Amino acid sequence: MSYLIQLIVSGLAIGAIYGLVAMGFAVIYKATGIVNFAQGEMGMLTAYTTWSLAVTLGTGGVVTVFIAIAIGALLGLICERLVMRPMLGEPVLSVVLVTIGLAVVLRSIVTIIWGASPHKFEIAGADTVVDLAGVGLRVSQIGVLAALVLALAGFWFFLRHSRFGVAMRAVAADEKTARLMGVSTARVQAVAWASASALAGLAGALFAVIYGLTPTVFELGLKAFPATVLGGFDSVLGSGFSGLIIGVVENLVGGYLPSTLKEIAGFVLILVVLMIRPFGLFGEKRIERV
Amino acid sequence: MRSGYFKERYSELIVLTDSPAVKAWTAVLLLALVAAPMLLSSFLLSYLTIILFTLIGALGITVLTGFTGLITLGHVGFLMLGGYAYAIGVTRLGLPPELALVLSAVVPAVFGLIVGIPSLRLHGLYLAITTLAFSYIVSASILAGGKFTGAGRGIMVTRPEILGFDLSSDRAFYWFCLTMCVLAVLVTLNFRRSYIGRALVAIRDNDIAARTMGINLVRFKLLAFLVSAALTGVAGAIMALYLSIVTVEGYPFLLSIEALAIIIVGGLGSVLGAVFGTVFIVLLPELFAAAVSVVGGRLQDVMTTSAHEIRSVLYGLAIIGFLRFDPRGLRGIWHDIRHAWVYWPLRY
Repeated sequence: MSYLIQLIVSGLAIGAIYGLVAMGFAVIYKATGIVNFAQGEMGMLTAYTTWSLAVTLGTGGVVTVFIAIAIGALLGLICERLVMRPMLGEPVLSVVLVTIGLAVVLRSIVTIIWGASPHKFEIAGADTVVDLAGVGLRVSQIGVLAALVLALAGFWFFLRHSRFGVAMRAVAADEKTARLMGVSTARVQAVAWASASALAGLAGALFAVIYGLTPTVFELGLKAFPATVLGGFDSVLGSGFSGLIIGVVENLVGGYLPSTLKEIAGFVLILVVLMIRPFGLFGEKRIERV
Repeated sequence: MRSGYFKERYSELIVLTDSPAVKAWTAVLLLALVAAPMLLSSFLLSYLTIILFTLIGALGITVLTGFTGLITLGHVGFLMLGGYAYAIGVTRLGLPPELALVLSAVVPAVFGLIVGIPSLRLHGLYLAITTLAFSYIVSASILAGGKFTGAGRGIMVTRPEILGFDLSSDRAFYWFCLTMCVLAVLVTLNFRRSYIGRALVAIRDNDIAARTMGINLVRFKLLAFLVSAALTGVAGAIMALYLSIVTVEGYPFLLSIEALAIIIVGGLGSVLGAVFGTVFIVLLPELFAAAVSVVGGRLQDVMTTSAHEIRSVLYGLAIIGFLRFDPRGLRGIWHDIRHAWVYWPLRY
């Protein structure tokens, strides 16, 4: 029984990371209608940059988290301005393919600059084990869960009550009308990319703190896909929440079944989900009128 | 100079080419390709061989993404299935190589149907994710397959004798690749101009309109998956023969990106584009390496230590660059050049 609880709790921790990345996917999809395949890579680049900064400056836990968010947002803005802005108005197929190209480039740049060997992302006190009702949890894992909760609350408030969040939803609902009402599509896209990249950066850095820094951090993006699909691509909060489900499922599969299945558990799950509910658990069903 | 193009019969509209010049140049190109092993060094010949079997795979993705507009990120899954189907057919089941080659087309085609069925309900982006998931599931299953699939160690394959021709020499293997490639090009070209091919293009351009014209989306999308997977599977098998081994690492995810890069750089949705794209993408890393070695310096050290990464960056930049500046691809540029050549000194 305690093994089961341990699996679920550590599944929640990794699921929270997936959830953060998945929220990033959903934010960009909601604002611009495209899937950003470079999400995991942006998280990876941010994690490496944050690591370099944290090591040279010797910053503590909380400051490092803020550095990661800032670098992530900056990276998102740069990518949006240089690569995505010129593609505004192009067919979805082309734009998505551009993000795939971006992903490949970012991934390789990281390996060229920092090399392929793993690094330890050390933050004082992050590995301390806290005993919560008989379940051992590391401080960093608690931090991840807290980050997800804060991000969910923040995005709920942002989308529901802030002027910009409403503008974002307006662009998602009907781009042409939104523009006629004076909403700048380009600015909405820039903010979407910055916030999505900040989420990915936060997730990447936290992942690196818990599991170490290797060039495979970008796989976070692949792992978070199932979460976004499960939650529904247009549901930011649903995607964040589904991350937890995917994390727990993956951990349970890994705990009780052969380990190769753990890697693909999420993918098998989305194949099933897509067949039953193609718009996800919390997504809006799209009705096409001719 | 021609004063205009007049088509009088329906068959003239869909004929592959009506220009004697194109026919003559195609014949010259074919003769040159057949004679190439006599003239080229074995180093250059190996590149030509790579281009030929890569082209077969590129034609596979052309059918799916280029004609039908279904984005796939799991192309490598079909390549892997083809390679493994051949290797398992020959070494484990003891099939003759000809039959194993057929198997390498049939097995991916069947799996193509399996991936295709859920994708019927999905729009473009979801489909890309499903195919991505598919390729990961394939490689994970092969790794978990134990002795039958060779797990992490892979399976050795030797170059066989096909229909009485011994493929063990590089020249013979080149001719084999050339034959398969010409066949694949002919199949794709004729597929494109048939009723099915036109239906697929109609689905790409507007699926709802296509449906109202009486095109059965389910049947034709599945057919696109089937043909694409079969072509790609054959390419995977030939790739396995070229490398003499099938392993999961031999089919990295980068190949899916490479396939996409090929059809984007060449120009989406055309066989000629696939040919241009393949030549460009296969030679790009080599040309870049040559250019760097001329410049020399520190960059060259980076080239040798991280060749794989440099290749990825080049593919990525090629994808972004072409989509950003010339979405028509190399085919569009070729079209402009030909136009200028035919009509010079007139502009139009």
